[in-house]
Amino acid sequence: MSGATPADLRAALAQTIVGQSGTVDALLLGLLSNGHVLLEGPPGLAKTLACRCLAAALDGEFKRIQFTPDLLPSDIVGTRIFDQRESAFATVLGPIFANVVLADEINRAPAKVQSALLEAMQERQVTIGPQTHALPDPFVVMATMNPLDSEGTYALPVAQMDRFLMKVNVDYPTREEELEILERFAVANTQPLRAVATLDDVRAWRARAHAVHLDEKLKRYIVELVAVTREAQRVTVASPAGQSLALGDLIDYGASPRATLALAHLARARASMAGRDFALPDDVRAIAPHALRHRIGFNYRIATEGIGTDRAIDALVAAVAAP
Amino acid sequence: MVRIGRLSASVAAAVLTAAALCAPAARAQSLQRLTVQTFTLGSDVGRPQAGTPFHLVVTLYVRENVAQIANLELPMLAELELLGDERVVRADSRGTTYRETIAVLAHRAGTIVVAPAILAAIDARDGRAKQYYSNGLTLQIGAAPGQGIADGVAVAASVGRFAVQVTIWVLGGLCAIALIVLVFRRRPAVRAALAPAPEPLVPPLARERSPRERLRDALTVLRAEPTRGTAVRARAAVWNALGASEGVTLADVLARTQATEPSLRGVLVALERAAFTYDADLRPAIDDACDALQRYLTT
Repeated sequence: MSGATPADLRAALAQTIVGQSGTVDALLLGLLSNGHVLLEGPPGLAKTLACRCLAAALDGEFKRIQFTPDLLPSDIVGTRIFDQRESAFATVLGPIFANVVLADEINRAPAKVQSALLEAMQERQVTIGPQTHALPDPFVVMATMNPLDSEGTYALPVAQMDRFLMKVNVDYPTREEELEILERFAVANTQPLRAVATLDDVRAWRARAHAVHLDEKLKRYIVELVAVTREAQRVTVASPAGQSLALGDLIDYGASPRATLALAHLARARASMAGRDFALPDDVRAIAPHALRHRIGFNYRIATEGIGTDRAIDALVAAVAAP
Repeated sequence: MVRIGRLSASVAAAVLTAAALCAPAARAQSLQRLTVQTFTLGSDVGRPQAGTPFHLVVTLYVRENVAQIANLELPMLAELELLGDERVVRADSRGTTYRETIAVLAHRAGTIVVAPAILAAIDARDGRAKQYYSNGLTLQIGAAPGQGIADGVAVAASVGRFAVQVTIWVLGGLCAIALIVLVFRRRPAVRAALAPAPEPLVPPLARERSPRERLRDALTVLRAEPTRGTAVRARAAVWNALGASEGVTLADVLARTQATEPSLRGVLVALERAAFTYDADLRPAIDDACDALQRYLTT
């Protein structure tokens, strides 16, 4: 162990990635919570760079899988090939055997490929032929989705989206950040990122985050936050036309109990990242949109009424009083 | 029904929770409609002695027939040990009498000031949400009875006071009888009509405690009762004193108070820790919160 802290890792990432503090924090939270992160945002927003930098800063192995419509499950998990010299089958492990895996444009591959990936994410092991192979630890999948170009995509089923601990919307940088990007990257290649933490450090951070105290009041708060997504009829939100709409009419189904667990894990991780060994209501509220965004089934009216999913989630979170 | 144990926290928190009443409009829907006739706080002993239990009595009489009285906050008793509590509600067609008797014990001689009890209710006469305050009490606690001359003097003084009190009561009674006799002699033949009852005196609304006083209350309570529940209530009272609404988080309160009260940050952060930290860290967290409050109050 090097004795590095998550703050050191964040500082290292900030040397390469301009702005995008929300994305960087989300990647770190995923790392500390031992969960996978789904990043959604337009192309060119440093999603891939962030994941690559994270792996480099951790001295871990990084693999990128570009999802395409003709991708096969064996292209991800690996396969067995016949070795004529040995007259036996040999196992070739796929790119999923890495510490940080970037599944780029995950919705471009058909369902069976998505399933293969998501099964590996859930079980943290892969079975190829007669052998079961454990995935390395830590193992974090960062998947990206492009919301602008939906031609030829296969939407991720909700049950599979649920496997992601959090979904983060990556937004455009500010003008100042874009100027910084211009100055930093337009002149010359930046120095490759040095490793600032080891994989043992990550395991220690995870253990520390897992031990963070979650008060009974916060547990109830988390349960209420998830419950309100299923009882959204009592929450109203104003449409751009000034009409008051019950959110229950815009939601087909609420978040699953996996959301409850995700909120607790993420709140603990956030508290640990802040150097605390107890979580606060602010931790829960800050990560609630990331943990709920992909777990609530919004229907078409959320778009036709001009209410974004994030505004709806903000209204749901605001409807529950913090302890 | 006598409830013993853990009463300290509930009663001590009264002043803190009373702070929540500073938004009567928001809570008006949950308040009872009452016509308050009398609301008093008293002691059953004129001069209590340290080490000897005595009782504080909260009496409320309202014109309505109600099964219970809600939103009545007992006074903070940080300097008294709570031994028990008995609550009686009697309702009939003429109204409801609420009487709460709190058994307490003082551990040291001196002056103890007991803050008024507070009732939040909608005044049935004008339909407005109000806070009613009972009178406050200033108790002169005598030294504990013991041996020696001092005790003898104290006992003698006590007996003397008792004798004086008996004399006053006897004389008062005789005067009253004489007065009644005089009245009936003057008007022997006329049957006195039932005069309408005088309009009852509603206790005046006491001055609302300032935010700084509420913070001082929170500090007193936290020091007297360093428990999780008290920490949570102290946090709520401080937030309330700062005008923060219910259900917000520390980040909201900090953002709100940053401009007006930057020095409060330490207090808010320390109270947040005391409210949510793990049990082993609770006492240090409360000590830190007390220190932060003390620092803020002395600036």
